Amino acid sequence: MALSKPAPKGKEILLGLAKKKKTKKIRHGLAIGVMCFIALFYLIPLFWLFDASFRPKVEIFNVPPRILQGPPWETFRSYSLSSFQVAINRYQMHQGFFNSVLVTTGAIILSLLVCSLAAYAFALLKFPGRDFIFYCILATMMLPITTMLAPLFKVMQSYGLYNKHLALILLYSASGFGVFLLRQYYVRLPISLIEAAVVDGASKFRIWWWIVLPLGKPVLSALAIYQFRYVWNDFLIPLILLRSKNLHTLPIKLQVMDSITIAKDYDAMIATGFIAMLIPIIFFLFFQRHFLEGLSGSLKE
Amino acid sequence: MSSIAVLRSKRQKNRAALAKVEPFLFILPFLALIAAFNFYIYFSGIRLAFTDAQGINPGDYIGFANFAELIADKQDFWPAIGRTFIYTFGCLFTQIPAALVLAVILNSKIFGRLRGYLRASFYVPVLMNTVVAALLFRMMFLRDTGMVNWLLGLLGLPDKINWLYEPNLSLLLMIVVSFWQWTGYHMVYLLASLQSINPTIYEVANLDGASPLRTLWQITIPLLRPALAFVSVMSAIGGLMQFEYSFMLFPNAGFGPGMKAMTGIPYIYYHAFRSNFRFGYATAAGWILFLIILAVSLVQIRVIGLGRADDEEA
Repeated sequence: MALSKPAPKGKEILLGLAKKKKTKKIRHGLAIGVMCFIALFYLIPLFWLFDASFRPKVEIFNVPPRILQGPPWETFRSYSLSSFQVAINRYQMHQGFFNSVLVTTGAIILSLLVCSLAAYAFALLKFPGRDFIFYCILATMMLPITTMLAPLFKVMQSYGLYNKHLALILLYSASGFGVFLLRQYYVRLPISLIEAAVVDGASKFRIWWWIVLPLGKPVLSALAIYQFRYVWNDFLIPLILLRSKNLHTLPIKLQVMDSITIAKDYDAMIATGFIAMLIPIIFFLFFQRHFLEGLSGSLKE
Repeated sequence: MSSIAVLRSKRQKNRAALAKVEPFLFILPFLALIAAFNFYIYFSGIRLAFTDAQGINPGDYIGFANFAELIADKQDFWPAIGRTFIYTFGCLFTQIPAALVLAVILNSKIFGRLRGYLRASFYVPVLMNTVVAALLFRMMFLRDTGMVNWLLGLLGLPDKINWLYEPNLSLLLMIVVSFWQWTGYHMVYLLASLQSINPTIYEVANLDGASPLRTLWQITIPLLRPALAFVSVMSAIGGLMQFEYSFMLFPNAGFGPGMKAMTGIPYIYYHAFRSNFRFGYATAAGWILFLIILAVSLVQIRVIGLGRADDEEA
C-alpha cells in the first residue's frame, strides 16, 4: 500500500475509499467497544450479587468490594457457603424454595390445561355467545386485580382458601392472557387435519388431546414461560394471602428477613436473592429462544 | 329392524344434544375459575367500597363516604396519586428513548454474533424478581458501604449522599431501579420489530444520502410507531401498578423516608393491611386507581388500533 509516487486519478479514488473503509472500521470497533462496556456496566449489580452470596458476612459490604482488593483469585479463597447456611438454618430458605416450585409448577400445569381447553373451544368450535364470552375474558386482561387487595383477601377467606397454596394456583390459572394467546395460535392451525379427524369420527376431546395440544407445543411453551416468570416473581398477592411461615414463597421469605429491624441478616437475604434469581437465569440460558419468542409473539397481536 | 332404527335415532338425538353442550364443557373449567377468582372479586369490591369494613368485620353501608373522604384528602391520597404519575412518566421518558437507541444500535450489522450476547445481557435484569432488584439496589445505595457512593467518590465526588434517607430523592431512586430492570424488556421488543423492517428501505435511504439521524427520524420511528406505542403503554401500566420498589427499596418497609415513596398500590396495601385495616376505604381507593389504569388501557387500544389502521392504508 506504499503509494509514494503520484498516482493516476482512479487509484487516488481507490485509496480514498480504502481510507474511508479504515476509519469506518475504527468507528465500528469503537461502537462495539462502547456497547460491550455499557453491557458490562449494566451487569455490575448481578456480578456483585453473585460474588456477595459466596462471601462471609464481614466481607459483603467491603468498600471497595473485596474482589477488587488484591488479585481476584486470591480473594476467592474466602468464598464460603455460610450465607446459604444462615438462610437455611435461620429462615428455612429451602422451604421457601420448595413452596415457590410447588406454586409455580401447579399454576403452570393447571393454567396450560384449563386455558388450552377453553382456547380450543373459542378457536375451533361454534356455540352461542362465543364471541361475547371471549370478549369478557379479554377484558380481564386489562383489569388490574391488585387494586382489589381487600376484596381479594376477603373472598379467599370466604372460600376457605386463605393461607393455602391452592389459592395462588387457582388465581394464577384464571389467566385471560393465556386463553387469548393460545386462541390466537389455534385459529391458525391447519384446518384440514382437524377435518380429517372429524371425518374419521374422532370426538372433540380426542381432537384436542391428539391434534391441537401436540400441534400447539410452541405456544404452550411460550405460555409456560410467561406463567413461570410471572408466578415465580410475584410478590404482592402471596404477601397478603400466605400467613404461615412454612408456606412462604421465596420473595416473601426475603420480606420476612427484611422485617427484622435490628441487625438484619443481609447475608441470608443475598443468598436467598441469589437463588431466586438463579432459577430464571438457568431457564433463560436453556430456552432463550422461547423466552424472546414468547415475548414478541405475545405482544405482537 | 325397526327397533334398531329407533335405537339409532335415539343415539343420534343424544349425539346432537351432546354436540350442543360439548363446547361449553370445554370452557367450563376456565369460566368457573375466572368467575370465582376474578369477576367475583370485583363484584364484592363494589359492595365493600361503600362500607366502613375493617379487617374481617363486615362494617355498615356508608354510601359514598369513603370516596368523599378520598377526594377531599389532599394530605395523603392525592400526593400518592401525584407521585404515581411522576414515577410513571419518569420511567416512560427515560426507558423508552434509551430502549429505542439501544435497539437501533444493536440492529446494526456490525455486531454480528455479538448481538445475541448483548441483547441477553440487557434482558437478564428483566428475569430478576423485583423484590431482589429492590434489595440489591438498596445495598448499593447505602451511604457508607454502598457501591454507588464509592464509585462517585472515584469520580471525584467525595461528599457521601444519604440516598435512602433523602425524601426528595426517593422517587428518583425508584426510577433508576426501574430503568435498570425494564429498559432491556422494551429494547428486546423494539429490536424484534426493527428486524421485521424490510432492509431495502434503508438501502434506498442510504443511496439517497440520508444521514443516520434523518433515517432514524423519518424512517425508523414512523415504522416503529405501533411498537413504540405498545411498549409505552406497557411501561405506563407497569408504572401505575408499581408496588415492590416502594415497599422494599427503602429500609424498614416504611415506604421511603417520610413515606415519600408511597404511590397508588402501596397506598391501598398500607391502608388495608398495615395501618388500621380499613378494607372499605382501601377498596374505594382501589376503584379510583382502577379507573385510572383502565383509562390508560383504553388509550392503549385506541393508539395501537390507530397504528394498525395506518398500516392498512399504506
